[in-house]
Amino acid sequence: MKTKIFPLFLIFTFSIIFFVFYKGLQNTNIYTPEIKSETKIPNFDTKEFFSKDKINSDQIFIGRDYYLLNIWASWCIPCKEEHKYLMDLSKKENIKIIGQNYKDNFDNAKNFLINLDNPYDLIFFDNDGTIAIEWGAYGVPETFLIKNNLIIKKIIGPLNEKSLSEIKELTK
Amino acid sequence: MYGRKVKLRFFFIFLIAVTLSLTIFLILKSLEENVVYFKSPSEIKTLSEMQQKKIRIGGMVKTDSISIVNKELSFVITDFKSEINVVYSGLIPNLFEEGKGVVAEGFLKDENFFSATKILAKHDENYMPPEVKAALEEK
Amino acid sequence: MSSLIGYYSLIFGVGVSILVIFFSIKNFNDTQKLDTKVISLVFLQLLFVIISFSGLILSFVNSDFSNETVFNHSHTTKPLFYKISGTWGNHEGSLLLWLLVLTLFIFVFLLRSKNQPKQYKILTLLFQQIIIVGFFIFLIQTSNPFNHVFPVPKEGLGLNPILQDPALAIHPPILYLGYVGTSIIFSSALAAVCSNNITKIWASHIKKWVLVSWIFLTLGILLGSIWAYYELGWGGFWFWDPVENVSLMPWFALTTLLHCVLVLEKKLILTSWVVVLSIATFTLSMCGTFLVRSGILNSVHTFANDPERGLYILIFLFILIFLSFFIFLIFHKSENNNSKTFYLLSKETSILVNNWFMMYFLSVVLIGTIYPIFLEVISSQKISVGPPFFNKLILPFLIPFMLAMAIGPKLKWIKSDIEDKIYLISFFVISLILSVLIIRNLDINFLYNSILITAAFYLFFITLRDFFHRKYRNLPQITAHFSFSILILSILFNNIFSFEVITNLKINETYQAQNLKINFESIEQENKQNFKAIRGKFVVEDQNGLIEVMKPELRIYNQPNIVTSEADIKTNIFTDKFMTMNYVQNQDYFNIRYQVKPFMIWIWISTILLCFSGCLSLIRKKYEN
Repeated sequence: MKTKIFPLFLIFTFSIIFFVFYKGLQNTNIYTPEIKSETKIPNFDTKEFFSKDKINSDQIFIGRDYYLLNIWASWCIPCKEEHKYLMDLSKKENIKIIGQNYKDNFDNAKNFLINLDNPYDLIFFDNDGTIAIEWGAYGVPETFLIKNNLIIKKIIGPLNEKSLSEIKELTK
Repeated sequence: MYGRKVKLRFFFIFLIAVTLSLTIFLILKSLEENVVYFKSPSEIKTLSEMQQKKIRIGGMVKTDSISIVNKELSFVITDFKSEINVVYSGLIPNLFEEGKGVVAEGFLKDENFFSATKILAKHDENYMPPEVKAALEEK
Repeated sequence: MSSLIGYYSLIFGVGVSILVIFFSIKNFNDTQKLDTKVISLVFLQLLFVIISFSGLILSFVNSDFSNETVFNHSHTTKPLFYKISGTWGNHEGSLLLWLLVLTLFIFVFLLRSKNQPKQYKILTLLFQQIIIVGFFIFLIQTSNPFNHVFPVPKEGLGLNPILQDPALAIHPPILYLGYVGTSIIFSSALAAVCSNNITKIWASHIKKWVLVSWIFLTLGILLGSIWAYYELGWGGFWFWDPVENVSLMPWFALTTLLHCVLVLEKKLILTSWVVVLSIATFTLSMCGTFLVRSGILNSVHTFANDPERGLYILIFLFILIFLSFFIFLIFHKSENNNSKTFYLLSKETSILVNNWFMMYFLSVVLIGTIYPIFLEVISSQKISVGPPFFNKLILPFLIPFMLAMAIGPKLKWIKSDIEDKIYLISFFVISLILSVLIIRNLDINFLYNSILITAAFYLFFITLRDFFHRKYRNLPQITAHFSFSILILSILFNNIFSFEVITNLKINETYQAQNLKINFESIEQENKQNFKAIRGKFVVEDQNGLIEVMKPELRIYNQPNIVTSEADIKTNIFTDKFMTMNYVQNQDYFNIRYQVKPFMIWIWISTILLCFSGCLSLIRKKYEN
């Protein structure tokens, strides 16, 4: 009698521990800081991607539309993952998607766009990554939603279904 | 009735049971005393009575709120719903910055005023204690 | 290229596993001797893992950013040393290292256990292969170190500067040697149960593996502490942080096992207990890997985490637990206790007492570490368990523990009386007087602290006397207990006598306290290869007019962009002086912390001595007489 209860008890305990650990796993610890207060966008000079013309940030972010600034690079794997969401967003009339080509090789970047399609309305260079610092970006990819020269949302890492619907909600 | 060996066995089992239950009692008792609960500024506003125990408050350091008065650091922790003033005179971690997450450990003076004994920061700037993340997400 | 070779070597490694399992099962009943084919296959597997690991190292050295792991964790401007150590400084590489050590250990095990029964050896090999295959699948499925990036990036993302430290570079491999060593103990204990091979010979055979794992685990924990002290700039060496606790738990289990194996070797009792401990030790090591790698714990040391990986380790861990559990239930024949009686005053009783304390310490740490997880899942309350909990529950019990440590080894096996009582009592009186003198003028809990220090001094004096009294009778044991007493003494003194000043200062300001004056003289900037250094110059004057110049540093790294504080530490044999500074955002003030920490260096020295005593025991041919 005694010998049977004890193993059963142990199995039961271990199963509970397993269950608790399994549940605990669901909460991940990665935190993505969100900008709550609306910050002004930085001012910078750069070159346009295809024409290589000089361009200032004031010439990029004009008008009252929504702008979606996406920092990307052809070597960045998560950028490929989020590409389909950008293509989806590029169909929306009231959002202009701006690409910031981060520390990249021109030919690779061009091939990337040819192979996967180009969701961007405009692309500019950030060859040494200084503009990304101006934005306060953490890495590639990173996406900023801008209205009236104010950043109203920042998404660190690749876009996903959740952030896509959030962007759509904000730009209704 | 029982032989000496059986008696000895019973004695041992009894001894083990007593030590085990004592140990568990001791551990649970100290856990209760030494556990530090985590609250967000909003939760503090809703507290019905002032807590004397040590707690942790987590949130963001409000922009333009860091100042030094009489060698004491003071700043505001916000969860974008409620705010709380914090004074602190201790070691400031590397990643303590305005607009970044922070966890302060200490005692509540009143519902707007917190006296911190420790400020915690993480190695990774993108990392935040899950408590803060959850507290920020709840709103 | 090297990535490709590395990847295929991994695949071949799994293939060899299947062959090993097949041939060892075939070999199990048919011949008398262990098939040399099996040993060569194990060697082949080791070779594949070595090739795979070298492939990863090569990719890191050549900064081959087409490899995703290299891209994520390396940078061309990194010194070569950190490029190599970067190989195991990340999740994927560290798992590959686990695997390397696993295969290495089983190979060495097969070579070193020629005199053991064949079936026992094969069973050990089989259990070890289960673990190895588990890790292979884990590596290839969820954390392949050889993922390809295309197009190839020009530059890597860099290594966190906090991790660029010599102690931390060798810390993981050493710790893993300890962790993985326990896997051999686990497999061999299960095999011994299955083949009914628990004998005195088995005990002395497995003792070596217990010792080896114990030495490496101790060293590994020490290195982690050293890193925390010198690099983190928090001025402490142990924070009861979950990640640290997780390495301490297998250590407790392993230390207990070490003592039990000694009893088993001598008297063939406690067999079930030894088996349970062997299983527990490895389970705790795996549990540690799970808790650290899955990110389930809320710790200051963060690791990139991925729930999928966590889930895999969790399932694997529980498969192993249940497997060992059932093997234990089915095969284990409980010992026949009737012929052996315990006497109250004997060596085995004192070792049992030691076991109880160890198990108590283990459960305190275990509960303190995982209780927050449980509470959050059950009631979604968020809590943390801090140092007071551990200090309160562990420190008082060190008193009887250390007294038992002092007297226990003097007892004889089976039945004995305490010899030379006069010595023991007089030493106790001396320790008591000494600690009262030390504590007398301090503003702390007098009774508690003086008894605590008395116990530590007592152990110190008794073991010190043993060095001269019974020459070389059991040198490893005396050395181990002696160094433990120094460790506890220096930790206690470190806690009691250290003091600190934390203040905010502007340049040219002076902080004045009763016994100390800190003058913030100047600040200088310097641009280094991958960071900008801001160095403060402080003149510290104590009450005796002794002047010390401290130059703590702030480093602003550019790749990745992180600010770290470099402490300035002045060490001598009595005390450490420690200063860090940090900037306060938008203010002219700097946050300064100045600490005086006595006997810091003795904490390191005593732990090294502890490891040394383990080595002594390892090279000793016979135990007692």
